Amino acid sequence: MSSDFYKTSILPFAGIIIKLCRAYTNSQEDFEDYYQEVCLQIWRSKDNFREESQWSTWVYRISLNVCLTLLKKKKNNVQHFVSDAITAEETEDNFAFSEESLNVLYDAIRKLSEIDRAVIMLYLEEKSQKEIAEIIGTNPNNIGVRVKRIKIRLKKILDGEIN
Amino acid sequence: MEKSIENIWKEGFLKSDALVAPKINNLYSQKSIHIIDKFKRMFKINLIAIVAFSFAFLIVSFLVGIPITGILFFITLSVLVFINKKLLNDLEKIDFGISSYQYLKAFNEWMNKQVSINKKISKFLYPIIFIAMILGFWFKDAEGMPLGERLVNEILVGFPDTYLIFGIPLIGIFIVLLIIALLVHFGGRIYKWDVNMVYGRVFKKLEELMTDIESLRS
Repeated sequence: MSSDFYKTSILPFAGIIIKLCRAYTNSQEDFEDYYQEVCLQIWRSKDNFREESQWSTWVYRISLNVCLTLLKKKKNNVQHFVSDAITAEETEDNFAFSEESLNVLYDAIRKLSEIDRAVIMLYLEEKSQKEIAEIIGTNPNNIGVRVKRIKIRLKKILDGEIN
Repeated sequence: MEKSIENIWKEGFLKSDALVAPKINNLYSQKSIHIIDKFKRMFKINLIAIVAFSFAFLIVSFLVGIPITGILFFITLSVLVFINKKLLNDLEKIDFGISSYQYLKAFNEWMNKQVSINKKISKFLYPIIFIAMILGFWFKDAEGMPLGERLVNEILVGFPDTYLIFGIPLIGIFIVLLIIALLVHFGGRIYKWDVNMVYGRVFKKLEELMTDIESLRS
């Protein structure tokens, strides 16, 4: 991948990728792997971009699709989806970020199912229901209800009512 | 006042260190950890290994006098490689930029198709390999006559009442047919068991993801 492509087409949207990758990983090491993998897939798939959507939406799609189906090869050679590996005991945020409230919120988001994570991340990024439905490939009418349910669940997790 | 999740989100990313991109070094030279790329790599390596093996075995089979085995192996494995190369081409077509539902569906369909085709192939592959081995050794030259015929002659010396069909002992035909039947019956299961050992968790996870998205679509 040329550094020009990275600087002009990926780096301006790095925020989107960082936020998504962080929701699907629980350590700095995994996060960096996921981030690199997403960048690699964006570069590999760049010729498939047909300008039917905004570049940022397309970057969202690739980031989400990569995160949903990424394999993390552990040192012991056991292959599994990273989300399988996250248990209630292991969800303590292991990132070197300073904002405590954000860390706590990420902890809560990681306790949601993969799809709910995607929905709430897109909602928090102020994507419309239509855009969320387009990115995930669902019915826009159900997104609003789902967001409400997820927010209630997140609130309960943050309040310690559920794990 | 308690902050809403929207506010935590917005304010959290105002901090400069929350959105620092990791360093990217020699990205393309790094091995991908993505399942599709992993499959592509594994498939390519497997196909190359099968082609190399079938060529090498073909040569060796002529050298050791079992050319029938070598030729049958070569033809069977070539068909296997051809079919799996076509499957690999389908995998290359999966676009990361489509919606998550379409993407997972495409990947899930490819996985199911690949497993289903290879399961069917396995039902024939193992028996053909077995038959190839039997035929190869049966017709292998043993001091001027086929090894099989020599073996039958020796059996007839020890057991003159042996019942023959087309010059082959009935018990031998029965054992070979039984092994072939077992290989046909268990070939697909052996393949499925093997695939599940490696990718069982992936199949399960894909199924869960598909079910979750489908519940949002309904």
